[in-house]
Amino acid sequence: MQMLFHFEDVTKTYGAVTALNNLTLSVPEGAVGLLGPNGSGKTTMIRSLLGLIPVDKGTGEILGMDFQRRRLEIRRAVGFVPEDECLFPRTVGVEFVGYAGELVGMSSKDALQRAHETLDYVGLGEARYRKVETYSTGMKQRLKLASAIVHDPKLLILDEPTNGMDPQGRVDIIELARDLSHQKGMSLIFSSHLLPDVEAVCDHVVVLGGGKLLTQGSIQQLKQVHNRCFEVRLKNDAKPFARRLAALGCGVEMRDDLLLVQIPEGHSPNLLWEIASEQRQQIRYLRPQRSTLEEVFLNAVEER
Amino acid sequence: MPIFDQGYQHWNGTLGGQGWRWLAITRHGVRVGMKSLVMRIYLLLALAPALVLVFMLCIWGLVERKAESVSSLMGILSFLQPEILAHPQHFRVEIWTLFYSQFLQIELYFSIVLILIVGPNLISQDLRFNALPLYFSRPLRRIDYFAGKLGIITAFLAMVMIVPAIVGYALGLLFSLDITILRDTFRVLLASIVYGLVIAVSAGLLMLAMSSLSRSSRYTALFWLGMCFLGISLAFVLGQVNQEQRRHQYHRQMMNVRPPISQDPAERRIQMRELQRAQGKLEDEFRAAELHAGERDWRPLISYTANLERVGEHLLGTRKCWDRLSLLKSADERDRFIYDHAGPQYPWYWSAIVLAALFGLSAWILNVRVRSLDRLK
Repeated sequence: MQMLFHFEDVTKTYGAVTALNNLTLSVPEGAVGLLGPNGSGKTTMIRSLLGLIPVDKGTGEILGMDFQRRRLEIRRAVGFVPEDECLFPRTVGVEFVGYAGELVGMSSKDALQRAHETLDYVGLGEARYRKVETYSTGMKQRLKLASAIVHDPKLLILDEPTNGMDPQGRVDIIELARDLSHQKGMSLIFSSHLLPDVEAVCDHVVVLGGGKLLTQGSIQQLKQVHNRCFEVRLKNDAKPFARRLAALGCGVEMRDDLLLVQIPEGHSPNLLWEIASEQRQQIRYLRPQRSTLEEVFLNAVEER
Repeated sequence: MPIFDQGYQHWNGTLGGQGWRWLAITRHGVRVGMKSLVMRIYLLLALAPALVLVFMLCIWGLVERKAESVSSLMGILSFLQPEILAHPQHFRVEIWTLFYSQFLQIELYFSIVLILIVGPNLISQDLRFNALPLYFSRPLRRIDYFAGKLGIITAFLAMVMIVPAIVGYALGLLFSLDITILRDTFRVLLASIVYGLVIAVSAGLLMLAMSSLSRSSRYTALFWLGMCFLGISLAFVLGQVNQEQRRHQYHRQMMNVRPPISQDPAERRIQMRELQRAQGKLEDEFRAAELHAGERDWRPLISYTANLERVGEHLLGTRKCWDRLSLLKSADERDRFIYDHAGPQYPWYWSAIVLAALFGLSAWILNVRVRSLDRLK
């Protein structure tokens, strides 16, 4: 599989603080979620990828380019949506996006044409001639997205793109990010604290903590199936069923109308059917339990 | 499902090279600047001296050709010596130089105000709207960013200094219908362009440095105004105080040469003649002393605009022109002529050193201020 980026023993310090600590990782192309608590090194990693800061040691590549030597080429191939509210002042929407294109090296004509197209794509077609200072937070975020994709980058980096947005705005951004990465073939790095957002957009996650790699992998793999844990829903009152299982040494937890059952060693999942038969209960739903991304994240951080 | 969903389209165009990336910033800045009504009106106003320059050069071209049509306009040139009007081609270089010198001197003050309108927003607004991450996450080096911003100031200054100087030159050439004018005065045009660029780079970089110090363009504007106009005032006051001291000393000497007045009218007349002669000699000595003092006077260095003017005079060779024109005067009038027309004559390189120091300081401030900000939070 083609690598999106690769770090080999990368260390970056700010005085006494070590932001990246001998970080080694390889990330495949596709939609990648970047997770980690505050101060975990996510932003430093993005800065390093864009060649904005020199690292103390280590090597690496992004899109096949050495991130320390080919900074400008990298920035040409990458679109970046910063977290903070940032604007080119005194412009209207279409000028803003066109200017962003010109800064990357597009001709004025191409940049203007693409600006109209990308504004339509992100749903700001109606507001293209409005001053950007009058845009709402959600519109500004979509504007930044349009200006990041105006030159059709190979990789799009979104830093906390849904922060401070209303639910509809959040959904819009997630849909756009998902469409770009899954339908248009654009690789994506999606840095966010909001795990459902990452889960909705990305196929692969990288969890950082203290400048080190805590875990990484495809979301499907990380959310592994637990062979001895099951989610069970019954037709009738579940309490006698739960009591019986507990008496046999099973771990049982009631969650609304769902029972989370952990079968002890020495028993098979058939035990559930036997107890149901014994109590004349109907099992309406039975599924092996999967970890949520939140659990994956918390486990990774706790194991540090 | 829509029949035709345009959605996102890939783009297959080519991106331009790195060398001209700064031009995108300049182009955008000029576009935004020209949207302002105040700016447009001010640019028109600032072109007024250029119209006068063009008019004077055209008249001079007609004078050189001894055209009939110009005879009615000779009144405008009555301030010139009859020798000059009799042989205008002999004084072509001096007249062109002085016209250009006057034009650039006036435009310098227009430029200071123009920079005040254009400059304060250039970086401070980027800081206020947090635009630096948008710039530096694109293939842009800091030098491209600075060059682009400096290009905005240069473009506006060129509109009121360099372009009118070139247009004026071309029209002057056309009206004189003499190709030798190119040989004689090309240096003036070149010096005007270089001087325009010196102002643009020096004042532009200084304004950018000030603009990078604050998120408020108002403070930047006030700082610029303060630096320019307080500098002018302070240099003027200190210069006047210094000159008054010398004048006072001169007056004391004048009083000393006055002998006791005789009661005899004939003798008194002789006494008065001698007194007048002695006072005239003292006055000449005073003027010569003033010229000499001017050559060592550091006070104008306090004024930023005076430094620019002094470098401009050197580039254009204004003093040489006044010296040449002073030869048309009698020997005892020459000092007064030079004293009245040529400005302070301290070494031009003093001003150049001050400007170079300010340039270095501005570059250092920009380097420090923008380096600490081209990061992503």
